[in-house]
Amino acid sequence: MASLGNSAASTPQAQAIYRRRRRGNGILLTLSLAATVFGLIWLALILIGLLWQGFSGLSLVVFTETTPPPGATGGLINAIYGSIVMTVIGVAIGTPIGICAGTYMAEYGRHNQLTNVVRFINDILLAAPSIVIGLFVYEVVVAPMGHFSAMAGSLALAILVIPVVVRTTEDMLNLVPNTMREATAALGLPRSVMIQKVAYRAAMSGIVTGVLLAIARVMGETAPLLFTALNNQFWSTNLNAPMASLPVTIFQFALSPYPEWQKLAWTGALLITLTVLALNIVARAFLSPRTSK
Amino acid sequence: MSEHIVSRYDDELKDVQRRIAEMGGMAERLVDLSVRALTRLDTTMANAVIADDRRLDQVQRETEELAIMIIARRQPMALDLREVIGAMRISNDLERIGDLAKNIAKRVLALDGQFQSKRFITGVEHMAELSLAQLKDVLDAYASRDVNQAFEVWRRDADIDSMYTSLFRELLTYMMEDPRNISLCTHLLFCAKNIERIGDHATNIAETVHYVVTGESLTQDRPKQDESSVTKVSYDAA
Amino acid sequence: MTVSTLQNTLPEKISIKNLKFFYGDNLALKSINLPLYEKKVTAFIGPSGCGKSTLLRVLNRMYDLYPKQRAEGEVLFDGGNILAPGQDLNLLRARIGMVFQKPTPFPMSIYDNIAFGVRLYENLSRSEMDERVEAALTRGALWNEVKDKLSSSGLSLSGGQQQRLCIARSIAVRPEVVLFDEPCSALDPISTSKIEELIDELTADYTIAIVTHNMQQAARVSDYTAFMYLGELIEFDETSKIFTAPGDKRTQDYITGRFG
Repeated sequence: MASLGNSAASTPQAQAIYRRRRRGNGILLTLSLAATVFGLIWLALILIGLLWQGFSGLSLVVFTETTPPPGATGGLINAIYGSIVMTVIGVAIGTPIGICAGTYMAEYGRHNQLTNVVRFINDILLAAPSIVIGLFVYEVVVAPMGHFSAMAGSLALAILVIPVVVRTTEDMLNLVPNTMREATAALGLPRSVMIQKVAYRAAMSGIVTGVLLAIARVMGETAPLLFTALNNQFWSTNLNAPMASLPVTIFQFALSPYPEWQKLAWTGALLITLTVLALNIVARAFLSPRTSK
Repeated sequence: MSEHIVSRYDDELKDVQRRIAEMGGMAERLVDLSVRALTRLDTTMANAVIADDRRLDQVQRETEELAIMIIARRQPMALDLREVIGAMRISNDLERIGDLAKNIAKRVLALDGQFQSKRFITGVEHMAELSLAQLKDVLDAYASRDVNQAFEVWRRDADIDSMYTSLFRELLTYMMEDPRNISLCTHLLFCAKNIERIGDHATNIAETVHYVVTGESLTQDRPKQDESSVTKVSYDAA
Repeated sequence: MTVSTLQNTLPEKISIKNLKFFYGDNLALKSINLPLYEKKVTAFIGPSGCGKSTLLRVLNRMYDLYPKQRAEGEVLFDGGNILAPGQDLNLLRARIGMVFQKPTPFPMSIYDNIAFGVRLYENLSRSEMDERVEAALTRGALWNEVKDKLSSSGLSLSGGQQQRLCIARSIAVRPEVVLFDEPCSALDPISTSKIEELIDELTADYTIAIVTHNMQQAARVSDYTAFMYLGELIEFDETSKIFTAPGDKRTQDYITGRFG
């Protein structure tokens, strides 16, 4: 402080204020750190517990045999298969719809009232409890058809995918600078060309990230599948019949009194967690090198 | 005129104008002194003129450097550009006027007290008064940015020119009357020519003032009445 | 507007007549009358917010991309009013090109950046397209620097090169008018000089309008200069006149740096 000489900061009063500020800063920093540590501890405990319990049950059998009847041993292959199939179909249905809707909102209808309405509804859909989606599909598809089916499950997942993709597509297209749109327009190119050749290219990494995050989200959903795809003890590839899935199987096995089932539930939980983790890492990798440029 | 956003720029422009005013005062004094030295054949005064001209040259160089510096650093536009270019031109003219005064002073030293008749000098003296008035007027016009006054100066140059033509004729006549006058009259003729040139420079300055203020050059042909180059005086007339 | 001393019989490529422009209810241009002479460079200068960029963006109807912006009056381009309803905007913009403040190369190769716009209007064979790309890049004073890396991304170029790429891209679609919206404000002095040299060369074939904050640049590159202030055209005259002896006091105050 001595080097400040005669400046205002060197008076005793200023020094007192400065000391008080430093103290305040220190207290706030400590509180924030404590809160962060508190939050992260639980996350770490969950992960450690999951790894501990899950790995002990992990073996090749998990990937080769179907879910066992109570008391017997078995694997999760039918549930893994079901999860993958329903997720893929759900994403395949939801992504194009989501991208198209997001494109409309960002490119064509940016200043429309309709866009505002759609965005508002989409936000509600994004935040809606997934069980509500499950109930909706049950009412609309399962009840009229008279039975649960993998298709209905996929549909429920698709409905979950759409708002995520709409949101990220719109956001990512909005991030494409207007100068790019103007530059394309200035060459006399129609808007459709601009969207396909310029906007999508520029927003590509962001949109892919959105889709990956949507996949990660629906992979772990239990509630919408409970009312739609239900579960299936056996190997089934029939989309018109009930189909097993990892989350529902975990739900069922974890609640059961049988230790073999509980062990499989832990293993299934570990598999889902690792997959979601991997998807998040991939999504992050996709996003970072381009946006940080 | 309102001021520049950059106040240093204003200071620099004012500095240039102040120097031009200073040079104008010096040039006027040199012309006045040199003519008085001539009429009185005062060598001390003449020497003072020669010495003072160096100071004028010095200020001229400084002014020019300042103007160049302004062009390089401020990139003057419009009015300011004309102001700076005008200052460069005027400082040149004033420096030349100083040189012409110095030339007259040198003639005084050469004449070296061989003056007999007052009648030889009156014409030159009269012309010098007129030139000096022109110089004074044009410097006033510059200081007050008065285009009309500048234009008047520009128009009146014709008077000095015609006066020079008649003086030329007169001096030739003296030479023919008596060959002993030739040396003196030749010197006087050169002095007259120098004074006429001082008038021309005053006219140049008038044109510059016109340009600085209006942005347009005086496009009319200059009023030229100096016909000495085609003047003939025959022996019969003498 | 100060009535200029122009006694001019040059053909007018674009004639702006009684142009008014609105952002919502905000009047941004107040009855502008102005010619753009054929194969001449016209510069628009004025303080920020004076409407010079707005005026430029009317000329290729760029404002149509945004809601609540509208223009009244006439802008005659080769005699036809481009503000008339039914004007095909894409065709118009193919004839009146634009280069922006920030270089905007598309996220594609250098070659494709040029070929992109051409493909839409012309069906060229591979070799014809190669020629067109080379011609445009040569015209854009970039060919020698990029001829060995045509397939690398346009984004890999330096700022000045990117801007020249954008100019080449505009030229490739063979416009008649090129609008420059502060093309050098993001560039260093050397790149700026190259762009200015380029503009100078382009005058042989194109009518050019340039908006610039840099008065010296306007003085260097343009044949005619329009000074705008608060949405009005204050003065339009030959550049040599504007920068040595402007007719309006506001013009004089602006270009001599006296605006407070």
